[in-house]
Amino acid sequence: MIEVRDLAKRYGAITALDGVSLRVAPGEMLVVLGPSGAGKSTLLRCINRLVAPDAGEVRVAGRTVGSDARRLRDVRRAIGMIFQNHNLVPRLSVVKNVLTGRLASMPLVPSLLQVFPRADLDLALECLDRVGLRARAWERSDRLSGGQQQRVGVARALAQRPQAILADEPVASLDPKTARLVLSDLRRAAHELGIAVLCNLHQVHFAREFADRVIGISAGRVVFEGTPAALSPDALAQVYPGMEDESDAPSPPGQESDGVGGNGAPAW
Amino acid sequence: MTPPRLAFILGRPWGRRTALNWLVVVIAVGGVLGWTAGNVELSLGELVRGAGWMGEFLGRMLPPHWGYLGALLPKAGETLQIALWGTLLALVLALPLTFLGARNFSPNPVLYHGVRQIFNAVRGINELVFALLFTAAVGLGPFAGVLALAIHGAGMLGKFFCDAIEEVDPGPVEALRATGARPLQIAAFAVLPQVWPSWISAGLYRFETNLRSATVLGMVGAGGIGFELVASMKLFQYEDTAICVLLILAMVMATDALASRLRAKVLES
Repeated sequence: MIEVRDLAKRYGAITALDGVSLRVAPGEMLVVLGPSGAGKSTLLRCINRLVAPDAGEVRVAGRTVGSDARRLRDVRRAIGMIFQNHNLVPRLSVVKNVLTGRLASMPLVPSLLQVFPRADLDLALECLDRVGLRARAWERSDRLSGGQQQRVGVARALAQRPQAILADEPVASLDPKTARLVLSDLRRAAHELGIAVLCNLHQVHFAREFADRVIGISAGRVVFEGTPAALSPDALAQVYPGMEDESDAPSPPGQESDGVGGNGAPAW
Repeated sequence: MTPPRLAFILGRPWGRRTALNWLVVVIAVGGVLGWTAGNVELSLGELVRGAGWMGEFLGRMLPPHWGYLGALLPKAGETLQIALWGTLLALVLALPLTFLGARNFSPNPVLYHGVRQIFNAVRGINELVFALLFTAAVGLGPFAGVLALAIHGAGMLGKFFCDAIEEVDPGPVEALRATGARPLQIAAFAVLPQVWPSWISAGLYRFETNLRSATVLGMVGAGGIGFELVASMKLFQYEDTAICVLLILAMVMATDALASRLRAKVLES
């Protein structure tokens, strides 16, 4: 369960978040839509306090996410995070990358000496199994393709046995087929493991396909909330202000629209 | 008339003002260089007049006194060992401080600047100066040489190690922070895998440099082949000097070749 109340964050003169409130239930996949710079990434980073918010309250799994270092580490154990460019550690093996998701729960000194509890290794391999990459466990992570690396990133988050997962544009640099694999992994994690998944996307059609619920953010404020089916053109116009202006431009015939980036507005 | 077929391009086209500024710079630099050339007594004439003497010096080195090689080898070995221990101790001194001296990991700015200034200070003082200091402290011999290389090398390696940490990709670091991992775990799992190849490469390079430095440490009594080199010159045994120089050359070239191959291997991984 993720609960966010009145979250605010400014960077100098720029308002990134302006009183955002939301809840993600266990087992629910909530997709956050919004243009670049709308504050989606800041929202996620404020939830696990990689960025300290100026105001507002964040609770994950019933615990407040605050500034006390020890307590913060403790609550972060319950929050998995997935990044746009996967942020795997290069040169480490795939399985060790997944094991880094367990570090916070391991005894310190043995972990520094590269000694891991059996149970953690088994869990890491099980998580790799979940994303279909167990066979690649002992390869160097930077030998994998971008899509595979992102799925290892999902496995690393799952290895934390998290109650919540924050996914920051997890498919922005993937091809549509691989993107579907990753988003399916995430949705299954939510539905089968009861994890509250909060996922930033900028492709509207992926939100329609994978979200249980959608929130639209524009200029740091929530401007839409509802089911994917409720994403009407009017609703989208609120999330992406100024889009109407481009909608009268003819779309090239036969081109498959893949989200807001292209001039594919009619595809909605 | 055909237009010119070549174009001279340094940057964007110059205006008159830029050209004038450059002219001032060129004149200023030229003036300073001219003045300093006088101060350091640059003189082609002296060089030409001295050439004959240098030729005579080289002539007296021939033929090299090969019989001296046997007596010299242990001293060359000592030089190698001084370089080895100087490098190892430099690593031991530098490593514990590196994370404190990296801007992105240092717990506070005072510690960061403190560590950086320590590295700067010991790096700024030449090995020979340290060697003089340590021969006074621990007596003549190779240990003084080892200490000199260790202290100066710690400054060199420390700065390099800190810079390498500052240049790591922050993405994996952020990812591990987000899992709730403790700072030492983040260092071990997100930073070390990114920096160790360049660290080992720097260590090997340091060993090459230390070997070259170790060949002259003997001149101030800090062990190794340098003492024999100076002694043979002072006794006008130039045939012996020749052997010293040849042996140093062979040792340095062999080490450089070996170390650069190792470095290439490490950086590939």
